[in-house]
Amino acid sequence: MKLMNFAAAAVTGILLSTTAVMAQDKPVVGLVMKSLANEFFQNMMVGAEEHVKARGDYELIAVGMQNETDFEAQINAVDNFITRGVDAIVIAPADSRAMVRPVKRAIAAGIKVVNFDVALDADAKAQQGLELAFVGPDNRGGAKMAGDALAQALGEGAKVVIIEGNPGADNATERRLGFEDTVAEYKLDLLDSRTAHWETEEANQVFSTMLTAHPDIQGVMAANDSMAVGVVKALESAGRTDILVVGFDNIPAVGPMIADGRMLATVDQFGTRMAADSIDLALGIVAGGPDLEGWVKTEIQLVTAK
Amino acid sequence: MAHALHSPQDADLLLDVSGLRKSFGGVHALSGVSFSLKAGEVHALVGENGAGKSTLIKVLTGVHKYDAGVITLAGQPFVPSDPQFAKAAGIQVVHQEFNLLTDLSVAENISIEAFPRGRFGLLDRVEMKRRARHALDAIGLSDVDVDMPVSRLGIAHRQLIEIARALQTESRILILDEPTATLTERETSRLFDIVADIKAKGVTVVFVSHHLNEVFAICDRVTVFRNGATIATEEISETSPEGVVRHMVGRTLLEQVKEPNTGIGDDVVLAVEDLRTVANTHAGGISFELRRGEILGIAGLVGAGRTEVLRAIFGADPIQSGQIYRAGKPIAICNPADAIAAGIGFVTEDRKDEGLILDMPIATNTSLVSIKEVSSKGLMNLSKERDMAKAGGARLKLKCGSVADPASSLSGGNQQKVVLAKWLASNPEILLLDEPTRGVDVGAKAEIYAILKDLAAQGMSMIVVSSELPELITLTDRMLVMSEHSVQGSLLPENYHQEAILKLAYGQSDTPKGPTS
Amino acid sequence: MSAHETQDVLAKPSPFSFKSIVNNAGIGLALLVLILFFSVTTEFFLSPNNITNILTQITINLILAVGMTFVILIGGIDLSVGSVMAFAAVIAGKAITLSGLGTAELILLAIAAGLFAGLICGVLNGVLSAYWALPSFIITLGMLNIARGAALQVSGAQTIYSFPYAFEEFGSMLIFGVPVVFLLALFLVLIAWFVLNRTVFGRLIYGIGNNEEAVRLAGHPVFWYKVAAFTICGATAGIAAIVYMARLSISSPIAGIGFELNAIAAVIIGGTSLAGGRGSVIGTLLGAFIIGVLANGLILIGLSDFMRQMITGVVIIIAVILDHYRAKLSSR
Repeated sequence: MKLMNFAAAAVTGILLSTTAVMAQDKPVVGLVMKSLANEFFQNMMVGAEEHVKARGDYELIAVGMQNETDFEAQINAVDNFITRGVDAIVIAPADSRAMVRPVKRAIAAGIKVVNFDVALDADAKAQQGLELAFVGPDNRGGAKMAGDALAQALGEGAKVVIIEGNPGADNATERRLGFEDTVAEYKLDLLDSRTAHWETEEANQVFSTMLTAHPDIQGVMAANDSMAVGVVKALESAGRTDILVVGFDNIPAVGPMIADGRMLATVDQFGTRMAADSIDLALGIVAGGPDLEGWVKTEIQLVTAK
Repeated sequence: MAHALHSPQDADLLLDVSGLRKSFGGVHALSGVSFSLKAGEVHALVGENGAGKSTLIKVLTGVHKYDAGVITLAGQPFVPSDPQFAKAAGIQVVHQEFNLLTDLSVAENISIEAFPRGRFGLLDRVEMKRRARHALDAIGLSDVDVDMPVSRLGIAHRQLIEIARALQTESRILILDEPTATLTERETSRLFDIVADIKAKGVTVVFVSHHLNEVFAICDRVTVFRNGATIATEEISETSPEGVVRHMVGRTLLEQVKEPNTGIGDDVVLAVEDLRTVANTHAGGISFELRRGEILGIAGLVGAGRTEVLRAIFGADPIQSGQIYRAGKPIAICNPADAIAAGIGFVTEDRKDEGLILDMPIATNTSLVSIKEVSSKGLMNLSKERDMAKAGGARLKLKCGSVADPASSLSGGNQQKVVLAKWLASNPEILLLDEPTRGVDVGAKAEIYAILKDLAAQGMSMIVVSSELPELITLTDRMLVMSEHSVQGSLLPENYHQEAILKLAYGQSDTPKGPTS
Repeated sequence: MSAHETQDVLAKPSPFSFKSIVNNAGIGLALLVLILFFSVTTEFFLSPNNITNILTQITINLILAVGMTFVILIGGIDLSVGSVMAFAAVIAGKAITLSGLGTAELILLAIAAGLFAGLICGVLNGVLSAYWALPSFIITLGMLNIARGAALQVSGAQTIYSFPYAFEEFGSMLIFGVPVVFLLALFLVLIAWFVLNRTVFGRLIYGIGNNEEAVRLAGHPVFWYKVAAFTICGATAGIAAIVYMARLSISSPIAGIGFELNAIAAVIIGGTSLAGGRGSVIGTLLGAFIIGVLANGLILIGLSDFMRQMITGVVIIIAVILDHYRAKLSSR
């Protein structure tokens, strides 16, 4: 039966990664990840795999998706975990509403659930009568940290633009709101705000054009580092060194850019640790610890040249 | 309203057609057809391809409107305006090409024209199956499961299902258009049993066939078509296959003065030994020889396997077995490039799909085979290409505005000249021609004949496949007659009697094989 | 015949033949109208910087579209170019970040590796679809997934970065305000034009798209010509990958998602028939310009992202409808 579930999961296009042997005495944790094509989640997965080796007192079954919008795969994964009776599910929902029902089913089946990375939608939770804590970074707060760093460097009233993530994605919305909080607080002049779908090439094109329309831009807030890289390249092509850029995620590729000043700052939400930390919390509950409540914020940190 | 036109003694006359005419554009498809059906008879329609049988069927079933003439059905004037009208009047037809939806079940196919509806307009499956069962039982097909998808049935069963579908409604006349063309002998005899059964139930059957032995096996009367007119209607008991063939051929076209081709060499440029094409499901292959400067004709009915032989020699289709010899040496022809390298050209039957690139310029078409001649190191020499097109055009008296015009701008005859020019540009020693003058007007036809004869006189050998006997008689120095993928006979010009040719083509193989050259 | 023969035109649908001029003139006119519209509505549009921007922005799409033109001319389609570009970029990225080689060697190695990766994918597309006469739509849809998966697998889903300085420099180099990478794309257009209009190969590419059977019966190895068309398309994806890397200084395994659709759009807007056999690479150049000018101009006039997407869609549909009428006109 377990094998059958595995096969079903594989057929629905889920990438599977798991420990080979199942020892029945150890608690089993099911980890539901987002797209492993995304560097951020790929690193998180690696972190979780190292964590299970280090702790050694639980079994990990990890499931990822093929792309950001493959909600179906996540729902199937949760259902498979319910069927095989794991002790805990640790999930990064691809959609804050679509995952409420399956999570409720898991809790009803007596499984401890920890929701990390993106919070399930509060209204949807209330509607389903589900109470569940959220473990994760404050995307909005983090974006505001980066935004504030930019605003402090430029001063009040500076002219800025925002490069947004995928329209409709929860973290994209949170980060945009965080940047807008900065804009309001420091009375910045927001010239334009557009999506580049998290993508370097598109960010490069979109920002070049923005720069033409608004040559007086002083600062750029990019919702992730991949897009920030595209912005930096556009600035290099245009020969502009007077415009400050902030990003989000602290991917390795921006390290040199921050060091030499092409980028002002990014935000590290310690993604590598996030899944591992959530697993620790889940195992704590499984061992009889108290349930989590509200929002368990994970560490975020502003990264600058200093 | 009673019609005075009827002969009073034909009290059991079900359908009467007189003086029926129908033209498409300037072509007279039917030029005075008179024909009658008695209630409960099996009536054969025979004639060459294009003699008018199909057009008559299409008029009777309401597909085409007729220009002039009178049709009466059971004493009432009958003007079939559309297929539904003809069906309502009880005239059903089972076409050569089946109109079945292969992924649906037998029952669904039988009910497709009028699904039984239950409450709320939903499909009444029980009733549908009951009707299908009834229709199948009526023609003795109790072994067929009505839930089975048609795709799992063989050709013969599919045809019988079409017949069952046609007969489920009140039918007075059932027209079977070449029903045995794709059937085996056993399937054919089963079909004949069913036809006899239908006849016993009082349905009149019209039977279109190319096989005279079948006609003589099950029909009561036969009507012969030639050139869009009915030549004769005879009781089967009072005629013979020879008599019917005589009617089909007519006596007028028989003897034509033909100058013997003196330029035929002794050397065999191409020989074919036991060639079996992929379409040939029979055991035997065909063999023949072609000499230098000779024009060899291949006669036969559509589906006799003539085109397949040309395509096999040219390497357009793979062969099952056999050997081809070029100038005495065995050669393997795996693709058209091999054939072209061996000096063989192929003017295909279908200009539009195989011969020409219609939307591209005339010059592009004429250089397509000999593109190496007008290019060097892979680069096109456009002026050379233009000159080649002009020279080819001048040689064949091509009428065109500019060789840069698309081939589609030309008339049929001139398009065919472009195809010829394309092959002549490669200087082939052997030219295969499939229906070389199809869709070509009379004037251009004569020009093409002259060109081909001239080429033969210069030593080019040709194999011509044609469905027009006069064309083969005019053009060829020798003729093979094919039927069912085998050579029935080989005729020299002194034996070019249409009657003899047709008899061979219809597989009347009791006749001794013609003299081999 | 000689009496009728008054014109002495080239016997070939070259961009100079009458019909071709009419076709391309229509697209050129549309482009001109767009340019006029944007230069009136926004002051920045015709600024030298913005023109440089547009040229840079259309470069990758133009390179992909040149290869796509060959495939569409034979009546095929290649849905894999975006993924193949990412795969080639990852392979080239791995090569260029090797240690122990000199800068020049690394750059040459990366270019060779990227080109080779694209080429191999193209050969596979061509052989698989031509040998079994399968719809290239399905085969290249398969390749879209294979190449993307391979890109992620090889890179471990990590962005590759820190390329040699000289290589990055090439991506942003300008000659009189014209990006060098755009000149490269333009050079590819010219080569493609020459190949399609002046060589036997090009002639038969058109012939195959119009009437494959006639070309086959004329003794030409249609199979290899089809494979060649797909190979060219794969190779242009490899070239696009190199340009991508040079411009952005990274190799991302998730680069190029949806690029195939932009390339197809450029070819179709440029008047090449999806049914094959009709069209030109000059049209493709104009088509790429229309898409690039639209994307750029609509941002400049401040239209929202969503409106921008809608308008691009409308333009594609209009182009296909126009093509329908052109086809009717030319077949009479």
